[in-house]
Amino acid sequence: MKTVFTSDLTPVLDALAERMKLFVPRRGADHFVFKPYIPGDAGGDFNNIRTCTPAKEFLFPLRELTAVFPEPAQPPAAEPFAVFGLKDCDLRSIAVLDKVFLEDEFEDPFYAERRRHMFTVATDCCDPGESCFCNVLGGAGHPEGGFDLAVTKLKAGWVIEPGTPKGEAFLAGHGRLFAAASDAQLAERDTLRSRTREQLAAGNADIRFKADIGVIVQDRYESAVFDEQAATCVECQACTRVCPTCHCFYLHDEARTADFAKDRIWDSCMRLSYAAVAGGANPRKYLGDRLRHRMMHKFAYFLERYGVNMCVGCGRCVDAEAGGIDIRVILRRLNEEFTTPARTKVAK
Amino acid sequence: MKHTLYQPVNARIVDIIDESPTIKSFVVVPETEFKFETGQFVELTLPGRGEAPFTPSSSPAMTEKMEISIMKAGRVTALLHECAPDTLVGIRGPYGRGYPVDDFAGKHVYIIGGGVGLAPIRSLFLTLVDRVGDFKSVVCRFGARSPQDFIYKKALFGPWRKLDGVDIELTVDQANGDWDGHVGVVTSILRPDDVDIADAVAVVCGPPIMMKFATKKLLEFGFPHDRIYLSMEKNMSCGFGKCGHCMLGKYYVCKDGPVFTYDQIETYPNIWD
Repeated sequence: MKTVFTSDLTPVLDALAERMKLFVPRRGADHFVFKPYIPGDAGGDFNNIRTCTPAKEFLFPLRELTAVFPEPAQPPAAEPFAVFGLKDCDLRSIAVLDKVFLEDEFEDPFYAERRRHMFTVATDCCDPGESCFCNVLGGAGHPEGGFDLAVTKLKAGWVIEPGTPKGEAFLAGHGRLFAAASDAQLAERDTLRSRTREQLAAGNADIRFKADIGVIVQDRYESAVFDEQAATCVECQACTRVCPTCHCFYLHDEARTADFAKDRIWDSCMRLSYAAVAGGANPRKYLGDRLRHRMMHKFAYFLERYGVNMCVGCGRCVDAEAGGIDIRVILRRLNEEFTTPARTKVAK
Repeated sequence: MKHTLYQPVNARIVDIIDESPTIKSFVVVPETEFKFETGQFVELTLPGRGEAPFTPSSSPAMTEKMEISIMKAGRVTALLHECAPDTLVGIRGPYGRGYPVDDFAGKHVYIIGGGVGLAPIRSLFLTLVDRVGDFKSVVCRFGARSPQDFIYKKALFGPWRKLDGVDIELTVDQANGDWDGHVGVVTSILRPDDVDIADAVAVVCGPPIMMKFATKKLLEFGFPHDRIYLSMEKNMSCGFGKCGHCMLGKYYVCKDGPVFTYDQIETYPNIWD
């Protein structure tokens, strides 16, 4: 199935909403959040950039029942759902979570169930935000993979590209809504995408890494930058909450009327007692230690283990920070400190 | 849907043994068969109250029940210490990689333990003595704060020391009563000729400070880094390498450990914190 064009997105989203629960972006005070779709309402408020809240909420909710005992209860089966307005950074963050919850030795049954039922409709970014730095971490500003459908908003109308058999089947099943995209429309898409790429490059022109980020971050393990940058941290943990790839959780036991429950709740490695053991020992007592661990996990440990960075450059943590900590500044400072080892002369 | 990762197996506490002023052993009978390998750990749930990770102290060969020695150290362990027999508990697991006993065959096994660290060691010890002929020797050096603080006193002061192929020496930080044995920290009774290092593996389990200095001593003796087996204590929660609490560098202690060889982790700073 080829890329298609439609002048009106409303019937497309209505068709999706007929088949499954659909979420679309809505404008909040100064950001976007996903809300359930109201039929006939097109794409909600079209989001030029990613929402404020992370896409992980759809797959790995803030709080989730994972076990009931003594009498085990079957968890409710997930239902098909679609999300419209996911961005490239969202898709890449889902790919990161897939590594942990799906492709790892232990598949997480709850994540897997939701993931199998998720239909992803991505849209291109336009006019990136001040905190967007995805281009530094391999992002393009438009979806490059991991979507069922990728939608580009043109001056007039929409271009839709399928990315999976699921996406193709949807387009094929609603052929009357679409025409084949013309060369002119595809050219307009290319132009818009180039413009976004250029905006991202210009916005982050001051970040020029001397080596692979993982090499720099690991090399600067002993750097004073972590303590220095953590000095204004108020331990609000917002950075880890809004982060689309952070996936720490704790298991909470609760007595109910007739039985007991075990819930899984988001946790944060920035929390003081996060890694403390029962005897009181705590490997990361200081904020700087915890900030360093967060950076090491994102750029070194995760990369070493799973082959990708655990940061997609969405900039949500920058926007959410109560203490004004900026992950781009930390990376830039570590990069400044980094010196490549002097080359030793090779004997002739 | 498969959801056994999070679902505890129901179990009953059938007996509680006072081991020391701060440590009790809980004999637990799971409702359904629950197998583990020595050195692996389980998450023990006190329903509605919380859960914590423990390495069983019983032999994996004993399948109808399991023994778990618990030091009163934090919130959940304090609650467990208040439990009486017949309490319902839950067990999740087993998790992680334990001691590679088969790799120890044909070698001297040099075991250094202290305090509640003797719990995983007891499980290993019972596994080793079941097939003691497979090993050149089983040499144990155990320490405790005082004679009363030794756990498994009955076995340790008596029958274990009489076993063929087994050599056990004990020490206490502070003597009292009729203790006529060695006094000093456990590293003070380690000697380079305890085992033939060229043909030995070392196992260390105990409080972090003891593990740190015991490892240092073993390195001084010339033990190869990949033949020092360490049971790392971290805040293991989920048990399958996702929740993040027990990270040690790139490793999840719950999944890649809890038993590590020193060479796996030596490059990470502050591994003993």
